[in-house]
Amino acid sequence: MARYLVGRVIGLIIVFVIVSIIAFLLMHSIPGGPFDEEKSPLPPAAKANILRKYGLDQPLYVQYLRYMGSALRGDFGISFQSPTETVIQLIGRTWPVSMRLGGMAILVAFTSGLAFGIIAAVKQNTWIDYIVTFVSTLGLTVPPFVIAIWLLLAFAVRLRWLPTGGWPNGTSGDWKTMIMPVITLALGPSALVARYTRSSLVEVIRSDYIRTARAKGLSERVVVLRHALKNALIPLITILAPQIPNLITGTIFVEVIFRVPGLGKFFVSSIYLRDYPMIMATMLLVAVLWSITYLLSDILYTVVDPRIRL
Amino acid sequence: MLNHSRVSSLVLLFVIVAALLAACGGTAPAPAGQAATAAPAAAAPTAAAAAPEATAAPAAAEATAAPAAEPSAGGILNGVTLPDDAAPPDQQVLIEHYDNTADFTTIDFWESVYKRGGSIADLLTEPLVRINKNFEIVPAAATEWSVDSSGLVWTFKLDPNLIWSDDTPVTADDFVATFRYGADPKHAWDFTWFFGGVIKNWNDAVAGKVPLDQLGVTAVDAHTLQITTESPAPYIPAMMLYSQALQKKALEAHGGLYNSDPATSVSDGPFILKEWRKGDRLIYEANPKYKGKNKPFIQKVISIGAATSTDFAAYQAGEIDFVGGGNLSPADNDIIAADPELSKEIHPHYGDFRTHYLFFDTKNPPFDNLKVRQAFSHVIDRDTLIKQIIKPSQGIPAYSFLMPGFPAANSEGLKDIQNYDVAKAKQLLAEAGFPDGKGFPKLTLWLRNEAPVRQAMAQAIAASIKQNLGIDVEVSNKETKSFMDALNAKPTQVQFGMVSYGFDFLDPFNMLGVWLGGGRHNWNNAQYDEMVKKAASFTGDPAERTKMFQEAEKLLVSDVPAVFIYHQTVGDLYKPYLKGSELEPDKNGFAAIHWPGYANMSTLVGSLYVSKDVGNRTIP
Repeated sequence: MARYLVGRVIGLIIVFVIVSIIAFLLMHSIPGGPFDEEKSPLPPAAKANILRKYGLDQPLYVQYLRYMGSALRGDFGISFQSPTETVIQLIGRTWPVSMRLGGMAILVAFTSGLAFGIIAAVKQNTWIDYIVTFVSTLGLTVPPFVIAIWLLLAFAVRLRWLPTGGWPNGTSGDWKTMIMPVITLALGPSALVARYTRSSLVEVIRSDYIRTARAKGLSERVVVLRHALKNALIPLITILAPQIPNLITGTIFVEVIFRVPGLGKFFVSSIYLRDYPMIMATMLLVAVLWSITYLLSDILYTVVDPRIRL
Repeated sequence: MLNHSRVSSLVLLFVIVAALLAACGGTAPAPAGQAATAAPAAAAPTAAAAAPEATAAPAAAEATAAPAAEPSAGGILNGVTLPDDAAPPDQQVLIEHYDNTADFTTIDFWESVYKRGGSIADLLTEPLVRINKNFEIVPAAATEWSVDSSGLVWTFKLDPNLIWSDDTPVTADDFVATFRYGADPKHAWDFTWFFGGVIKNWNDAVAGKVPLDQLGVTAVDAHTLQITTESPAPYIPAMMLYSQALQKKALEAHGGLYNSDPATSVSDGPFILKEWRKGDRLIYEANPKYKGKNKPFIQKVISIGAATSTDFAAYQAGEIDFVGGGNLSPADNDIIAADPELSKEIHPHYGDFRTHYLFFDTKNPPFDNLKVRQAFSHVIDRDTLIKQIIKPSQGIPAYSFLMPGFPAANSEGLKDIQNYDVAKAKQLLAEAGFPDGKGFPKLTLWLRNEAPVRQAMAQAIAASIKQNLGIDVEVSNKETKSFMDALNAKPTQVQFGMVSYGFDFLDPFNMLGVWLGGGRHNWNNAQYDEMVKKAASFTGDPAERTKMFQEAEKLLVSDVPAVFIYHQTVGDLYKPYLKGSELEPDKNGFAAIHWPGYANMSTLVGSLYVSKDVGNRTIP
């Protein structure tokens, strides 16, 4: 196990270096730079001043080595979009918001999805099952931006029960602003969880050891929750683990439409604005999160199913 | 004060309006009928608006009239008397969105122009001059100005009463430090082109060839600022809209971003920075120490960070007071047009006098041939485009560059040069050697990250070129930075494109200057350059100067480096409880919040208030 982990971590470091080189080359290959002007072309002297100020006058490999050199010391530069704070400060300010939103969405998605999936499996081929299947198909097929706009029009514009957007800042602010973004984000994963829970539970319930458990005279509740569910969770780990980095790095659309001051929008705006330090930081962040997620889900398999060894 | 024979008509207007405005202190005249209905208690201090000294009464600044006592009475706020129909002081709040998906690093013009937050900037500084709803220049930090007999040296007298919010006086040194900061190669300002070739030694200072103290901006004494130009520039007062000086002391102590944090922020404008949560919201409060002529009725400006696509929903939900027309989608505009209430809340105006046009790379075939360019200019049916796609509330057909209402505009006189005439177009193309488009290369029409409505327009233009001239045109909507990079490349990489241009200062030279050789378009016409430059520095009869610009524009339209399509008008949405004399119809009949919006370069700040129709709005 320890040897396995060391090997994996070394592999990951190589992956990060490759990701950083690719990201660096890609972002410098898009035409336009962070300081292009809307109107007339800048006088050459003024343009040179700007490039020199940000070190963009150096050859690419020098820029890359400089960047990696300071990144290793924990200095990821200053965001061009927000020059009064470092990239680290900017991420430190926005990421917790995205994590909080994503975390709540994951919580809602798992609990509701699991509950509906179990009910549907236990009441297989009854009207309850049909409703859960129908609603979860809807949740998977209707894209979140459509759901977001429906919620917004119904609850904010027409009924005026909820604010159109915003996010509580620390302890102050309106908690009601959290309802719509959390529901929007949770709906898709919740439907996914419900469907997978149902189908794998249905399969497990028919297996021999469940019949044995029932024959021992265990109550249906214990049979389903203790014996069946644990095995039914294995496929869920494969399906759900990748949802987590997606949700906690913030989702662009939900954050934008509900005015959540999270990290999500920076994934897009950094590229539009050619905010090189921020592009690199978000790319590396995503790379790290995905690697850790896959590593953890591999380890988690061994916990859920002792037959799997690393 | 001024040498009348040597200044442009604009400057003449400034003087007249300056005198008028000085008389009423920049404070909004009360709406019609106020005098008759004014409650005696509220009427007594209205005269205070006339004299700046009266507004200095310290007690008045703190005493906010109790709203519970008499909601219909105006009351005194920070030294201004609210109009009779104004809402109570706690409702004198302006709530807007700003676009938090766009670059927004500063609220100060001299820090960055293109990364400056849109509608909510420029409230913390007092420029030398400002404009009113008729785009006339009126005094602000400068009480008067004059130019010497050479036409090169401008002297601005500063208002000695002005102070910063840290109680230090506003002096000419603040302006000098600000201009030096703008030219400083280490600062690398993104708007240096604006003063290049105008202010003496500007370009050399930017290039690091002369020290900053050689710049043509000097302090004669504490309250006299002198600006020296390279050649006579009658448009200097108009340019000084962009003289929102930073404080020398704060600039030296904290750098150009000192207004990012309320702790280091300092203001000589009508507002102070109360809170700025990056990406989230920004709050300004009325500056109790403001001594300028643009005292606001509004006590608080709340600007909430949001994507522009959410503006209309928030407006409908009653959360914000204003949505810029540019942020309304065609679908939003359809909803507004169908709604009797909303359609009363939309207010068209000239925006920033923006003209959309097709342009060509005129140095390479096939567009090096004038007849080809002329042929293109005659196949576009602007009237139908406006009616079917743009909608008449969003634009008017353009056959020339300067929008009606802009100085020296000559729309009627130039209307026939690029008129819609398909037969003539076909004939011209045949004469150019491409009968019915035979042998003409396939074209790509580049767009600069255009909204869907202009993508649709470009498709319609491409279709009419295909139909009438037999030339295939593919429309390609590029991302802004890629577009500008290719356009500004030397030699240009854009053969055929559509783009727009809006003004920066109110002088024909500003708009026509974009067509000077070496600029962003690949069209060089020595005669045009000479005409524009000559007119720009002409200090004689203003009427003659206008005529010179009109001749230059005629040459521009005739040589067809561009086919002018439409002048964009902007229909902003704002709540009926926003009132003020600057929202009443202007000289062209537009009743709207004009460019530059609620900023201290506009007399709107001294005029806008919230009427009691607002009811009991929730303030976030």
